Amino acid sequence: MKHQFQLVFVLCFFLLNSCKENRTSKNSKLETEEELIERALKIHKKVLTLDTHADTPIRMIEPGFDMSKRHDPNETGSKVDYPRMKEGDLDAIFFAAFVAQDIRNDKGNSRAKSLCIQMIDSILVSIERNSDNVGLAINPQDAYSLEKEGKRAIYIGIENGYPIGEDLSNVETYFNKGVRYITLVHSSNNDLADSSTDPKGSEHGGISKLGSKVVSEMNRLGIMVDVSHGSDSVFYDAIKLSKAPIIATHSNARAVTNHKRNMTDEMLRLMASNGGVVQLTMLANYLREVPPNIELDSAIAAHRFKMKDIDKMTDEEKVFLRKEFQEINEKYPTPPATVKHVVDHIDHIIKIAGINHVGIGCDFDGGGGIEGVFDASEVMNITIELVRRGYNEEQIAKIWGGNLIRVFKEVQAISERIKSDSSA
Amino acid sequence: MTIRWLIILLTLASFNNLDAHPLRLSLCEIEYTSSTKLISIHLKLFLTDVNEALLFNPKSDELAFCQPNEPIKANELLLNYINRFFYIKANGKRISLKIKQKRLNGDGENTALLVYFELSQPVILESLEIKNNIFTDLFFDQNNIVYIHLDDESKSIMLNKKTAIHKLEF
Repeated sequence: MKHQFQLVFVLCFFLLNSCKENRTSKNSKLETEEELIERALKIHKKVLTLDTHADTPIRMIEPGFDMSKRHDPNETGSKVDYPRMKEGDLDAIFFAAFVAQDIRNDKGNSRAKSLCIQMIDSILVSIERNSDNVGLAINPQDAYSLEKEGKRAIYIGIENGYPIGEDLSNVETYFNKGVRYITLVHSSNNDLADSSTDPKGSEHGGISKLGSKVVSEMNRLGIMVDVSHGSDSVFYDAIKLSKAPIIATHSNARAVTNHKRNMTDEMLRLMASNGGVVQLTMLANYLREVPPNIELDSAIAAHRFKMKDIDKMTDEEKVFLRKEFQEINEKYPTPPATVKHVVDHIDHIIKIAGINHVGIGCDFDGGGGIEGVFDASEVMNITIELVRRGYNEEQIAKIWGGNLIRVFKEVQAISERIKSDSSA
Repeated sequence: MTIRWLIILLTLASFNNLDAHPLRLSLCEIEYTSSTKLISIHLKLFLTDVNEALLFNPKSDELAFCQPNEPIKANELLLNYINRFFYIKANGKRISLKIKQKRLNGDGENTALLVYFELSQPVILESLEIKNNIFTDLFFDQNNIVYIHLDDESKSIMLNKKTAIHKLEF
């Protein structure tokens, strides 16, 4: 009897496995495009979708801009509003308060702080005005609890540590206003760190002494250290200095697209051993080399050759000529960056760093937006391409937010340890 | 002043480090100091955009801005364009713009032209109306960030094709 039971059990086991193999086979070989999309959209709806970088606050300072209204990105250039987040099933987003680097003295620092606080306040006002649809998120689990309430989670970051100035207490001021990551530097060097794109080159050799104090304070408070925009040395310094895992909120893989804003394979490996995460961004120039467009160049050159002297043109003639040039550009478009380029980068990062160290930070309203993922309403196309390449729900959940939330929790846990150690 | 321009320029030249700056952006800083009774305006514009706007050729060197061979018509064409898309009204009165200084900085596609205006404002500033839809004739998604510094207070707004004008009252 016992042997008969074991035989039945083994047969059932093989039968079940056989069914499972058939289902897998159907998914990979027999599934139609419609079925694949349907499956992808179900996954997209089910997992937490979190975008770690949007410059939408610069839209919020546009007089009259209303986040509760749907905007046409082809008319206004706007990439994020609350209706389009809902359309794209984008559950959570970090809005980055950005202040352009200006002069580094007391007056400049004071102005930067004032502008930064204004921008953070514009986010908070927007959340309050739209509290039926969105909520302020300050802890990792808030994204999940707000999702259960049917609301989008709005996190706050700061892009460029310039508004910290030389006053460390400002870090806590921003933390108290809800800021949960700070990008140490932007496109030119500041008092904290070197930029990857400052034509003057390195000033501090990475992170400055002040910058290292800022990193310590961020660790103490539980603010994530963002190394996007920093020079390579900033990355290596951050890995050494930070007691918590670090993040790159909007950076890609340099081995796929050779751009100094992207990360080398060595950096990706270190990011993995650090426990951090690299968030893929949708900036066309970081995703692929711009292909030559000879037809466009020839047509433009021919049209210029026929042009009358600028001094002799009326304003009306200039307007007409502008229209003609725009028509030529539309006739010979340059091949765009697409979602396939995005997932090429994801594939590479996973190959080098593993599935636990990649995420998504679109940089909408800061230059991000490509064919197929032009705005927040189209982010599900990333999931569709991931499914097409064989990623399963568990992997997609990690890419779309799970990894970042894991890091965020770790950053908070380390903050608690630092606080308890210092009070002991 | 030179250092300040350089720093701002570097930021303008690479808001997202874009070699061909696909993010369509310009920066403008307006500063009023009651003690000096002066309004200063800094416009920071990509040189390629300026050349495209004025000459329909982003790579043209015909106007040779800030070079010894800059033709007389360069300032005239530039000011004519700026006046079509940019103004400020102090206490309701449009201010006549005269270029006080220009400067070039950056490299390649990221080279920026900085245009500086300085104006006397002897009467207390009660309102400031700003129009800035520069380059919206070239790019539908052009955004122009404007920082306004009034003595110790700072404010930022963004103007573009849809929202070209904004008035501030003090």
